[in-house]
Amino acid sequence: MITHHPSDETLFRYANGSLEAGPRIVVAVHVGGCAACAGRIGEFEAVGGSLLHDIEPDRMEAGALDRVMAMIDAAGIGRAEIAATPRLPRADLGIRLPEVLDDCGIGPWRWIGPGVRWSRVTLPDDGSANVMLLKVVAGRRLPEHTHAGYEYTHVLKGSFSDARGRYGPGDLDEADDDVQHQPVVDREGECICVAALEGQMKLRGLFGRLIQPLLGG
Amino acid sequence: MNASGHGFIADRALLAFDLSKTGLALTMRQDQSVLSANEASRLLVAVAANRDRAAFAILFGFYAPRLKAFLRRSGMTASVAEDIAQETMLLVWNKASYFDPARAGVSTWIFTIARNARIDRLRRDSRPALIAEAFDPSDQPDEPVSGEQAVIASEREERVRAALRLLPPEQADILKMSFFGEETQSEIADAVGIPLGTVKSRVRLALGRLRQILDDLK
Repeated sequence: MITHHPSDETLFRYANGSLEAGPRIVVAVHVGGCAACAGRIGEFEAVGGSLLHDIEPDRMEAGALDRVMAMIDAAGIGRAEIAATPRLPRADLGIRLPEVLDDCGIGPWRWIGPGVRWSRVTLPDDGSANVMLLKVVAGRRLPEHTHAGYEYTHVLKGSFSDARGRYGPGDLDEADDDVQHQPVVDREGECICVAALEGQMKLRGLFGRLIQPLLGG
Repeated sequence: MNASGHGFIADRALLAFDLSKTGLALTMRQDQSVLSANEASRLLVAVAANRDRAAFAILFGFYAPRLKAFLRRSGMTASVAEDIAQETMLLVWNKASYFDPARAGVSTWIFTIARNARIDRLRRDSRPALIAEAFDPSDQPDEPVSGEQAVIASEREERVRAALRLLPPEQADILKMSFFGEETQSEIADAVGIPLGTVKSRVRLALGRLRQILDDLK
């Protein structure tokens, strides 16, 4: 059962399109399995629909409709090729990844510390987004840390706990710079998460501290 | 804020001028002023089923000028807003068969297409080397909609409209304004003379209130 959801602010920013690419895809993974958040986003999108419907219209340039009609007439050729973008390389990580990540590049597991491995996730449309998969062995305690900005962590498998609660499959942990925690992976098994950092800032959070040297930052 | 206000007045004057010269046909095509949700839905279904250009022209007349206004409010220049509004309407034509009245209203559906087109554009502009094919959850294949879901979708739109009316006006305003994005939040802060952090906490409060109202209306 899902007990940790993205905040309303985050879902609002997802709906209005201002959430960055990295957090956006991690939230999309969560929403793919969470009817409550999908419904909430639907509500916020309906706010957008209502604003669009009621806004004082602007004036389109003369001939705008004709131009679009001409594009419609010209279409049908070439669109298929545009869609067939080269697939990004995907390593087999030994787990079934959510469909939302189907178009992403997936790097191989890399060791970054005792019991901790990470894999870089490359978004097809934004190669610079900080998205990664993280795999931590059962019972491992991570170093105490704070965050430089927002960090979004969605649990795919296993679970971890900290002072705020227990995070299991389907849960999304949204940790801001106020959160200081020392997560412990539960003893039942390894924990695999997909995580994203907001912003292009220097990485200082949990993953940042672990991964910084590898990113050459 | 002032500058765009003047631009807007000028646009309206131009529009009135054009209308007086070219008459009704332009009114239909450039400034469709009323379109009910049911009518919009019927037109879009006609576009999907029959590639109905007349139906599309009416949708274009209503939505394109509103998309342009919406995109300008979101911080795009007039020419980029024009461009994305046209692109969005082209996508409306291309994706019409994906529209499912059981899932969302036409305005909401078109809003999500414009939102994704805007995200796509911003990324393309900032990183021209990358192939821009925006991640778009609305393109994911949908599971068939059950009867229960169909009721929920149309009810949801109604509920959201009702909730926005039930919100205290200042909270409704701040939500509406902040919907246009982060930049707008700084503008709100400047306009109201409060720190950005205060705007953010007021948005949080307004969202909490909206959630309460929406849940009460269920």
